[in-house]
Amino acid sequence: MAIAFVVGIGALTGGLASLVTSSASRRAPVEQARNQQYAAEGAIEDAAGRVRLLADPAVEPCVSARQDHYSSALNRARIRVDCTNALSVTRSRTGTVVEQRDVVFEACLDVGVRCGTAAATVLARARINYEMAAGGGVARTTVQTWSTRP
Amino acid sequence: MRTMRDRGESLVEVIITIVVVSVTVTALIAGLSTATTAATMHREHVTADLVIRSYAEATKLAVQSCTVGGRYTVAYTPPAGYSASGAGGVCPSITSAEVVRVTARSPSGLVKSLEIGLRTP
Repeated sequence: MAIAFVVGIGALTGGLASLVTSSASRRAPVEQARNQQYAAEGAIEDAAGRVRLLADPAVEPCVSARQDHYSSALNRARIRVDCTNALSVTRSRTGTVVEQRDVVFEACLDVGVRCGTAAATVLARARINYEMAAGGGVARTTVQTWSTRP
Repeated sequence: MRTMRDRGESLVEVIITIVVVSVTVTALIAGLSTATTAATMHREHVTADLVIRSYAEATKLAVQSCTVGGRYTVAYTPPAGYSASGAGGVCPSITSAEVVRVTARSPSGLVKSLEIGLRTP
């Protein structure tokens, strides 16, 4: 009976110790995922700003032939951002044909391959519209869609 | 006449029993105490994480209203005892993301930091 008592108490103590250590060890991957998500979002913001510098955003290639993607490092995560032009036209309420200068950005951990492949899961994706000013240049950017991998 | 059932326990047996029970009860109390401390610490970590995420999102929201050369302020009130800082001031650039390190601090001094990229739209 005494042995059973000791074993029971030992099991209970072991369970408590396990509870303590597991809550601590499971926090690390959650924080890493959070840091990577914010790093991916920041990298997209940076790439979106650089595309804004182009003379003809969403029409001319969003990356150069020399560098086919954008890179950033935040929260100790190296992030790669790939972009694709998504130029389209739409008709306004008054019937005027209007250009939609959209660019789609995808961010992933930089493992040397394009985002969206099996080795590089997309962490964040955004579709950003570049509104042109009457005198040329971008007047404002607007986020059309923004999603983060859960 | 005394039988085996009437023999009773010797002093040594009683002492051993007391020692065993004492050790196990002490271990149990220590385990419960550690679990309680860990739960408190874990709750503080989770709340600090919530604070830093909320502050980061409030910062990104504030920057959405930014104009070139303007200023922005972050509207966020952390829970009692917690604080958040690092953002607010001159609006970031329109052509690249400005990296801002936001920090959350818990009542016991636990500090969490996060880098976010901000850009004036």
